[in-house]
Amino acid sequence: MMHLITGGSGSGKSAYAETQVLAAGEGRRIYIATMIPRGEEGRQRVSRHRLLRAEKQFETIECYTGLQALTLPECGTVLLECMSNLVANEMFEPEGAGAHTVEAVLEGVRMLKRQARHLFLVTNEVFSDGIAYDEETMRYLAYLGEVNCALAEMADTVTEVVYGLPQRIKGDGSE
Amino acid sequence: MKLIIGGAYQGKLAYAKKKFQAEDGWADGRTCDMDAVWTCRGMDHFHEYTRRLLETLDGDAGSLSRSAALPIEPHRYALTPEAMEQWAAQFAAELAKRNPQILVVSNELGCGVVPLDRTDRLWRELTGRICTCLAQQADEVVRVTCGIGLRLK
Repeated sequence: MMHLITGGSGSGKSAYAETQVLAAGEGRRIYIATMIPRGEEGRQRVSRHRLLRAEKQFETIECYTGLQALTLPECGTVLLECMSNLVANEMFEPEGAGAHTVEAVLEGVRMLKRQARHLFLVTNEVFSDGIAYDEETMRYLAYLGEVNCALAEMADTVTEVVYGLPQRIKGDGSE
Repeated sequence: MKLIIGGAYQGKLAYAKKKFQAEDGWADGRTCDMDAVWTCRGMDHFHEYTRRLLETLDGDAGSLSRSAALPIEPHRYALTPEAMEQWAAQFAAELAKRNPQILVVSNELGCGVVPLDRTDRLWRELTGRICTCLAQQADEVVRVTCGIGLRLK
């Protein structure tokens, strides 16, 4: 089972995703963190989130690039957050996939899907501000948009969270 | 008329082609003739067409004129919100009359901070007004997210 969860910044999509993972039942819960902690503030933020998730029996695995090489300890429920970080890392980090970002990310998700019993992916709505950014940023938006469309195609369920209200845009309406 | 909207890079054109079985006859709002809107099967990048509408403005403070072959008397419209609304309503009504089968594919532009640049502000405003009027005229409005259409009307 694969569930893609999208929404704007501050929409409550992370909280919704965690609720969905808990509702998926007992068993091993793995959180794949993609944000590279930068500076003291970043590190503090990451360790705080780690602690909060530990209370919910999540184990955290960091994966900044090369998701396709990740082997999960055992089959369980997996939450990956956030595709927007993963795509940026693959594009801009020296060890990232660069021009092959879209294929690398999708291959990584296919690998996860094979290993996980339930897979929840969180992504980001950053496409509707109408701003023509520089070339690099526009390419980032194009890659993330392409990844999102392909993931939605692969997913059994897609939900857009709007201010905490989950809108089911693919799959059955059962909440 | 069908209106297909959504953020950038959401697969709107592919969705529209498939959903409405319209492979051919598309005009590209970035490059097409300004008159193409009256005859094309569908227009992609409609928000770029509205940008070019703005660029055809006459005069100093900016106004919408007949230059885009619009069915509007040649007196100039200053770009006040009221004038834009009135103009957008006329444009949408005329489009519904002359090209009732058209598929209009447009980015949503309005979910960001107010742009600093005046033309950007006017563009965002005008596109919003026009698309709102098109949505009123359309018999179907679909919002595409991650390649998936959600019917709004």
